[in-house]
Amino acid sequence: MLFGRQDRKKIKILDKQVTDWKYTTCGYCSTGCSIEVGLDAQGRAVATRGVANADVNRGKLCIKGIFEHELFEASGRGSVPIVRDKPWNPWQPTNWDSALDKMAGEIKRIQSQYGRDSFAIVSTGQIMTEEFYTLGKLVRGCIGTNNYDGNTTLCMASAVSGYTRSFGSDGPPGCYDDFEHTECMIAWGSNLPEQHPVIYWRLKEALEKRKFPLIVVDPRVTMFAQFADIHLPITPGTDVVLQNALMHVILKEGLEDREYINAHTKGIEALEACVKDYDPTTAARICGIDEDTIRHVARLYAKANNAMSIWTMGINQSTHGSDGVVGINNLNLITGNIGKPGSTSLSITGQCNAMGTREWSSCSGLPGYRKLEKPKDRKEIAEFWGVEESFFPEKRGMFMTDIFPAIETGQIKGLWLIATNPMTSMPNTPRIRKTLEKLEFLVVQDAYQDVEANQYAHMFLPAAVWAEKTGCFTNTERRVNLIRPVVAPRAESKPDFWIFTELAKRFPNGQKIKFPETPEGAFEEMKQLSKGDKRTLDISGMSHDLIEKSRGIQWPYREGMEGGKGDPRLYVDGKFQTDDGRANLIPLPFIDNNEKPCTDFPFWLNSGRVVEHFHTRTRTGKIGNCNKFSPTPYMEMNPDAAAELGISHQTYVRLVSRRGDAVVLVQLTQRVSRNMVFIPFHFHDCVNRLSLGLLDPHSRQPAFKQCSVRIEHTDQAQAAKLNAERRTF
Amino acid sequence: MLNVLKTVRDKLDQIGAEPAPLFYEAKRIFETRPEEQPYALLNDCESKRQNRYGVKIDLLDLSAGALPEGRSMYINENPAVGENPNRYKQHGFHFTADNCIGCHACEAACSEKNGNPAHISFRSVGYVEGGTFPDYKRMNISMACNHCDDPVCLKGCPTRAYTKHAEYGAVLQDPDTCFGCGYCTWVCPYNAPQLDPIQGQVSKCNMCVDRLEEGLKPACVSACLGNALNFGVIENTPDNREQILTQIPGFPDPSITQPNIRFQQTKTMPNEVTRTDSMPVKYHKGEDGQFRSVVDQKQGKAISWNFKRLSSRENPLVIFTLATQAVMGAFAMVFLAPFIGLESVATIESSVMFIPMLAVFMAIQMGVLVLSTLHLGKPLRFYRGFNNLKYSPLSREALGVAMFFAGMAGYTFFKFVNIFLDWTIVEIFAQLAGGFAVVSGLVGLWFMHKIYRIKARPFWNHWQVITSFFGTQFSLGAVLLALFLVPVALVNEANVGVLVSVLAVMAFAGLAAEAVGLYGHARYLNTENGEGAASHYVQSTTFGKTYRLRNGLLGAGLVLALGVAVLPLTTLASVTAMVLLGAMSVTALLIGRALFYVLVIPTTMPGAFFWKNKGFEEHARDIGLANMPQVGVVPHLH
Repeated sequence: MLFGRQDRKKIKILDKQVTDWKYTTCGYCSTGCSIEVGLDAQGRAVATRGVANADVNRGKLCIKGIFEHELFEASGRGSVPIVRDKPWNPWQPTNWDSALDKMAGEIKRIQSQYGRDSFAIVSTGQIMTEEFYTLGKLVRGCIGTNNYDGNTTLCMASAVSGYTRSFGSDGPPGCYDDFEHTECMIAWGSNLPEQHPVIYWRLKEALEKRKFPLIVVDPRVTMFAQFADIHLPITPGTDVVLQNALMHVILKEGLEDREYINAHTKGIEALEACVKDYDPTTAARICGIDEDTIRHVARLYAKANNAMSIWTMGINQSTHGSDGVVGINNLNLITGNIGKPGSTSLSITGQCNAMGTREWSSCSGLPGYRKLEKPKDRKEIAEFWGVEESFFPEKRGMFMTDIFPAIETGQIKGLWLIATNPMTSMPNTPRIRKTLEKLEFLVVQDAYQDVEANQYAHMFLPAAVWAEKTGCFTNTERRVNLIRPVVAPRAESKPDFWIFTELAKRFPNGQKIKFPETPEGAFEEMKQLSKGDKRTLDISGMSHDLIEKSRGIQWPYREGMEGGKGDPRLYVDGKFQTDDGRANLIPLPFIDNNEKPCTDFPFWLNSGRVVEHFHTRTRTGKIGNCNKFSPTPYMEMNPDAAAELGISHQTYVRLVSRRGDAVVLVQLTQRVSRNMVFIPFHFHDCVNRLSLGLLDPHSRQPAFKQCSVRIEHTDQAQAAKLNAERRTF
Repeated sequence: MLNVLKTVRDKLDQIGAEPAPLFYEAKRIFETRPEEQPYALLNDCESKRQNRYGVKIDLLDLSAGALPEGRSMYINENPAVGENPNRYKQHGFHFTADNCIGCHACEAACSEKNGNPAHISFRSVGYVEGGTFPDYKRMNISMACNHCDDPVCLKGCPTRAYTKHAEYGAVLQDPDTCFGCGYCTWVCPYNAPQLDPIQGQVSKCNMCVDRLEEGLKPACVSACLGNALNFGVIENTPDNREQILTQIPGFPDPSITQPNIRFQQTKTMPNEVTRTDSMPVKYHKGEDGQFRSVVDQKQGKAISWNFKRLSSRENPLVIFTLATQAVMGAFAMVFLAPFIGLESVATIESSVMFIPMLAVFMAIQMGVLVLSTLHLGKPLRFYRGFNNLKYSPLSREALGVAMFFAGMAGYTFFKFVNIFLDWTIVEIFAQLAGGFAVVSGLVGLWFMHKIYRIKARPFWNHWQVITSFFGTQFSLGAVLLALFLVPVALVNEANVGVLVSVLAVMAFAGLAAEAVGLYGHARYLNTENGEGAASHYVQSTTFGKTYRLRNGLLGAGLVLALGVAVLPLTTLASVTAMVLLGAMSVTALLIGRALFYVLVIPTTMPGAFFWKNKGFEEHARDIGLANMPQVGVVPHLH
């Protein structure tokens, strides 16, 4: 001892006495990190650590994952099914049998009274793939409503739509390893360090080994924008203009990959004709990026041997979401940047299993990227499940964002929400509130009884959460990873898989169709359905044990493949999932339809994520070591704009839009421009009281990030009281 | 004999601790993950002989043979010995400020490993920002304990809960010894020790010595997602890094403690960067390229009272210091009066009020000692306060005040005995005890002042503390004496005028010292740039009216005291003037001492918008958000 006592002083360091580490996969975002949860001798989940030999995260975890074991004992969970006749009556506890009987009865009543499609189902990106598959089987095969969608319409629908339009099928063609090979990367509306910090770390590792130009397109100076070699602070909603201008320069200067275009694409003429109108001078006036920079970026991207683009909600959540994705694909196709290491269009997905629902839930069609519109697909699934082919509709039904308006006007009378919280997550929540009031029967199935949508429910089914269950998640790079159960479901809550299977028994088709009793059984069915036909989505070589052993396997992983490593990239051979195998080049004329700042509402309202929270905070809002970094909503505002309005740092203001108002704490920072404010979207009764959410024509995804507001002074004491009241957990 | 005493002390220091686990056989100190990644492994091959401050990096060498090699650290009583080849070298963090993304993974990994509740964090990330959109830059700073060469926490801690180990140079603290005075949180410039008001004790970064023993980097480093945080033998430059700087914007002056942290910052920051938290401090780039703290007038220039905000957690210390100084002054005057020929004061000894007066002094002193003890997180552990006489001004002050109290008690006792036994020997004992008390009191007062001479708290670190503490001895001492002496003189129909003059001179001396000190303090604060000037900014705006009131009262008190001392006054006028002077002095000093505690701004690291933002913490308590534990703010504790 150098200082202090000469004799030994006790050293006490917390030892959690972990006796068993259980392998599982993180249940927050779609990065797909492998996690081990430590159990003590009493079987309590006491610790979390990253799995060092998992390829995705290589032992790293973000703040949410690090505290994930705490969510098993966090507050707000449901314990038993509860029911009530009217939303204003008190809840009555019940048992599972009578709850499911009543639920099946109500579904049948509504369907017989108002038609088969008058009962709608909105699911999630949060539950396991086997559960999605089972839910799809229940909905498409037994209940038979066509108004069935997932909340992925709020996050990844534009990516799905854009991929499908360009390549003939959904499925991100790249992987994280592309960072190791690329020579130029553009990040479109993606704030990796806050949204996907572990993917950011993979990128950072690659950059430290070998520097390459990084270009970030974002209206806000995020940490990512700050670290970029070139930051393009674009005018909100004008990404397509920038993309067209980049292609204009590339095609005009002959920097395109003609060979690739001729061999693997179609539609170049129409594209060329379209982008002619978007010379950099014209485009600069619309998108706010000067013409020299546009030319510079275009040349940089086109001249790189391998260039790639990633994107997140900055592209997806806009009125040109699907077009923005197609634009990125166009850019990569004309420069030959698809299917090679370091050359890709990689959507960075939001929810842990957004991919799983896209692949297997039958939301937008039938399992395994099959389409209701294709008779062959309908026939195949009808035979496999053992239902009448005619039971399937011939066209997909409504998207989530169309289901709510249909409730509002009475075409839909009953709704089943599964692990989703539209009272916080949908744009224009005043309208959603009004909508949910109109339902004759609303079932909320969620791990959290305090989920805000439950205010209007007639029945609440307590679901098990994350690693209280077994199943798979697919991540952003198509890697299927496994969740092993760590602890038993809380109280009387049940795995969603069990709930779906039990409910199925209460429908006539459910008696006929065989529902596997275990998630492994469902996985076997999925494997069967994924085989052959040059499917990219082929998981037939996988098994739960092999997935765990390999720490996740990318699809396609076909029967007979070995080593637990799937194909890292799609379209390596330049063959796409279109009828003729060629990718589509699609012209994207820009129509300016956003609600833009005006005299009455002079500020752009932008929204986004903070690293410590996940979605509507039902989980992270209760974990102190996450929540404390932003326990109440706040708004980033430019200090110069604030000075003009007499608004000071850390005071409350009232925001008003054409939809409603919200009270929020001001954080002054030059991170945002003078005519923009930014609010994290996680908080109930905040940013989505204001947002417009115009729908993308292809994906029906709302434009959360583009609308206009004005800022008003408010009584500080009243505002503080309101803020506290709205944060009751 | 010494060993027996040590054993007894060690036992006493562990009362109330959870029983330690018993390990008879060595086991793995920390369980390494299967196929651990290189980023988590310590990889220092070579190291320098000494650091830039000339301190040896090999700590066995530094201890000059006083310490044996290969000794177990007995982490959780585990006798295993780590096999880390650099076990006896000073280690430290390396932070690449260019890279930090502010993702909180380091803080989270630390809190997960150490099981910390939301309101405690051994590591915190704050930031500074500057520039204008889109030329905007934010620099995040992740900071924990810097395991300094000169650990001021260790030296300050009165209980000796801290040890700087030869293993890794880790500065570790034992919460079971700590009694929760929080003094280490005052002296540390980096806000590393964390006082938990709920637990009533301090805890801090333990360098993950359990991981180091197994060759692993600390949990925070291993968790870093920006490749910003690293760790190794100090003065070594990590792979792929080029700089080992000692400073970045927002980091306090490293000369205070010689912290074992190095930085890389190659990206230029704007010349001025601000903090988002409520501290009225920002950082400006000087000619030497280093950033220094300057005042940021966040609350404008409006001048207010804010009387309520004078009340703080440190209220017991306001009372304790003022009352102790008053009693010391009054007692010293009573004791010394016969020797310096102050008849008017010395006559009290022949009064029936003499022993009761001494009893009241004792009662006041006892009362405020108890009060100051209750201010501790764990009051029952108060006896540990004398553990660190070697370094801690707090231990020395406590001993001085205790000896003063004992001397005063002895004096009172022998004086009391003297009434019945008029023996010379008793009187001699009384004088010896009294003399002991006066000397101990002065020593105690000196160290009481030393407590506040903290480099990390520039507002306090000024000689004004001496003039204030010693001045109060005179000013409040006079007021306290007047309470007894004036009534006695009135009853005895003695010359009240002379007595009041003497007391007024005494008060004048005290107030004058206070005033001179404050004048010097204000001059110092006006020329000083950093946190001290920021304190002064708050003093002259947020508390501007209160501050002026205090100054006015002080000035008026001085005039009044002078008038009473020199003008021939009637008895009634003297008494009235004395009452007025007493009231003014007490009010001025009470306000002044409250301001002294409320205004201090430490050289902490920048906070974030919510976390480590005093302004938000206060707001969350006021509106009730803090009642939810997941907000991470401890609510008002009543």
